[in-house]
Amino acid sequence: MQEFSPSTLLVLVPLLPLVGAILTVLLGRQLGAKAHLPAIAGIAGAAAVAVMLLAATARDVGPAHGVHAEPVRPVEMITTLWNWATFDSAYAPPAGSPAADPHLTPQDLAAGKDIRSFSIPVALRLDPLTATMLTIITCVGLLVAIYSTGYMHDDPGYPRFFALVAMFVFSMSMLVAASNFLLVYVFWEAVGACSYLLIGFWFTKPEAARAAKKAFLVNRVGDFGLAIAVFLLWMSYGTLDFHDTISPDGVIMPGIFGQTRLADAAGYVGGILGTAICLLLLLAACGKSAQLPLHVWLPDAMEGPTPASALIHAATMVTAGIYLITRSAPLFAACPGALTVVSIVGATTALVAALIGTVQNDLKRVLAYSTISQLGYMFASLGTGTLLGFTAAIFHLLTHACFKALLFLGAGSVMHSMGGVIDMRRFGGLRRVMPITAATFLVGSAALAGVAPFAGFFSKDEILAALHAKAWPAAHGDHHAAAAADGPFQLARFAAEASHSAGSAVGLDALDRPETWQILFWMSLITAGLTAFYTFRAVFMTFTGPTRVPEGAHGHGHGHDDGHGHDSHAGHAADAGHGGHAGNAHESYESPWTMTLPLVILAVPSALVGWLLFSTNWLSHFLSATPSLTAPAVASTATPHMFHMNLAIQGTLAAAIGIVIAAIGHLGRRSDGPQMERFLGPLQTLFANKFYFDPIYSALVVRPLEGLALVAAMFDRYVVDGIVDAIAGIPVALGGIVRRSQSGLLQRYALAGVMGVLAIVVLLAWQLRG
Amino acid sequence: MNTVQSLPLLQNALTVGAILFSLGLIGILTRRNLIVMFLAAEMMLQGISVSLVAWSRYHGDWGGHVLVIFVLTVAACEAAVALVFVLQAFSRTGRLDSAAWQSLREATVGRTVDHELPSIDTVPPRFPTLTPAGILPAADEDEPLQREHV
Repeated sequence: MQEFSPSTLLVLVPLLPLVGAILTVLLGRQLGAKAHLPAIAGIAGAAAVAVMLLAATARDVGPAHGVHAEPVRPVEMITTLWNWATFDSAYAPPAGSPAADPHLTPQDLAAGKDIRSFSIPVALRLDPLTATMLTIITCVGLLVAIYSTGYMHDDPGYPRFFALVAMFVFSMSMLVAASNFLLVYVFWEAVGACSYLLIGFWFTKPEAARAAKKAFLVNRVGDFGLAIAVFLLWMSYGTLDFHDTISPDGVIMPGIFGQTRLADAAGYVGGILGTAICLLLLLAACGKSAQLPLHVWLPDAMEGPTPASALIHAATMVTAGIYLITRSAPLFAACPGALTVVSIVGATTALVAALIGTVQNDLKRVLAYSTISQLGYMFASLGTGTLLGFTAAIFHLLTHACFKALLFLGAGSVMHSMGGVIDMRRFGGLRRVMPITAATFLVGSAALAGVAPFAGFFSKDEILAALHAKAWPAAHGDHHAAAAADGPFQLARFAAEASHSAGSAVGLDALDRPETWQILFWMSLITAGLTAFYTFRAVFMTFTGPTRVPEGAHGHGHGHDDGHGHDSHAGHAADAGHGGHAGNAHESYESPWTMTLPLVILAVPSALVGWLLFSTNWLSHFLSATPSLTAPAVASTATPHMFHMNLAIQGTLAAAIGIVIAAIGHLGRRSDGPQMERFLGPLQTLFANKFYFDPIYSALVVRPLEGLALVAAMFDRYVVDGIVDAIAGIPVALGGIVRRSQSGLLQRYALAGVMGVLAIVVLLAWQLRG
Repeated sequence: MNTVQSLPLLQNALTVGAILFSLGLIGILTRRNLIVMFLAAEMMLQGISVSLVAWSRYHGDWGGHVLVIFVLTVAACEAAVALVFVLQAFSRTGRLDSAAWQSLREATVGRTVDHELPSIDTVPPRFPTLTPAGILPAADEDEPLQREHV
């Protein structure tokens, strides 16, 4: 620690996985079955460095005092690696915008003193939010990479997989460490590309190729939003840097989330422009984090290898939207309407995805919808705009990364052992043949369902508390009283209207009412119950009841080498000697230790991290030192740390009801028997068809675009190609005339030569006549 | 040099050159035997050479003579190359008739027939032989003793 400065360490976090990825690409074929070594070494190094950085940042923040009365000092450290590009005289801020320098006189303006250059520094930052995210990404990435050595072994694309995973860890680390919106955009695309490549890892499988394409295209919609948001941010603030920079002539250029602007009450754009920026950022976050209405790609993304689903589509990449909104907290705080929309989107997504999840029979798809639902929870929490809401969202992000990675890896373990079968109706009672997987899966499920001592309980409780505080401000009326709810927003609104003298009230602001928040709170509570139901439905269907194993699964009792039963091998099912043997409980189907070890390791934080972080209040104190969250509009909403007993009871009650219903329907029963959903009636069709999102998009977007493409293709074929063919026809037609003289008779050719010479002679004679 | 004396000489020489050239031209346009056509082309060349020499003498300039020497040199080379072509063409078709190569025409153009090509005489020509003496060597079936036709 003494030898390395934090800035060096910060560069190492993305650099080590990048080196690992490059080495894997270069040496992958030579290494063969050892191709995971460079990638795992790189990610392990990055994880170690990230933990060191977390410790260093925590030391800077200082211990939790317990009392939040005094404002927390923002902690950040910037490392500028190099300047990517600089454009001189690129920008002159419009008068009155937050980017304009109020000290300039009209004479200065006429002299062009307000014209600034625009530079894109490749700058990395370290603050509590980044340190937390880096730790999550690299640690989960490391465990997933170790797990993958067992899951992916014997796959022909083994080196490619590890190169992509290392590449993803690099991109994601850069995304959360970048201190510039343009860099964020670049790595936002980079993680999308890694996601595309990993979903389509088995690209010869048509479903995988289609799912990859769908994920990429749906993400484009969100990325478009991010691009426009970045343009608008530049127009409004004159910079894309998060941090303050000092120009060559010694003037401090306030960054978007720099100390200067954060201290300035009127520093952020409100009104229509601000709301537009926030909604576009929300659109970007919806795309990446699979929120309504752009959630359709995530369930299909389960076609990728399960470790990739665990890492990218559960623990890390899909949380990029949460990160982006948390980072942009001051922007959102200036636009209460946009914040409310964030919560509405989040809570709706949580509820809808949970409802769909209740009728899924594919274990991975249950987890996929659960991921969407839990991300919706985080969005709902972010939308409260309070410090509690932001920290609760990151808290839930952290616990969710642990337990959802655990659940996905557990599902992958089941799938690995069941010969690629993931339909829960085709196996059951696996707790007898896969004890480690079953135990760890149960821990993860308890955490996801919010059972009391496990991680998800505490983070979900904090989210419910954040929503409850918005819905019933009086009930939380400690020393802030009702002002806690709308005081800062009033300030922010005044600030916005001061900066935009013509700023009319945005219609969305009318949504920010306690009634809205009450509805959102109840939706979240119902979702909590549904979450518990579908989680334990999956547990009961998979691990309880009579032990059934699908044909083609390979138990170790047969001396079968493990590891060639994963989902790429669809035609594996006809393995001789494994007829559908019910109750053949003596065989062990447990996965190799490289796969169970990460499960056991992940089960520990899934069980404990929630209680640890909640009881010590460490995480929320730590995160509150993030510069973005020290904005007055956010920091002033800080509430004393407390355990909301009434909310805990409500949450536990909801979870208990869900578990009990799941137990009545599925505990100890055959999973291919009659299902609970037969009681749903017509709703079952609605849920099973995923609320008809895909057919609606197909009719509204895909089909019209296909029609347009058809018209374009026809135009190309018949008009463009027609013109080209017509031009090409001219030489052919001329050639047809000349071709007739090619008789093959030497005398004719000689005659033609003589005639030609005669013609030249005559012509010369004619010209020389005078 | 006497111009008056040399003018009729020039005229006569040019006449001879023109006749040689015309004969060659007519020959090349009317004959179908490749060797004869080649000879006709040589004749055209010589016609030109005669007129060059005549002009050279008329003008008292050695340039024409030098040029003719070059023409003769080139014509000798050309004769060697051309005869190889003719020989190759003959060994492929068994004919010296240029119409035998008519198939090199454009595919869509019909064949021009003034009169059909005579069929190849397949009867092996007889060469004078000595009376065999001693042991008759075993004849190799695969290697014909002589060519089918000349």
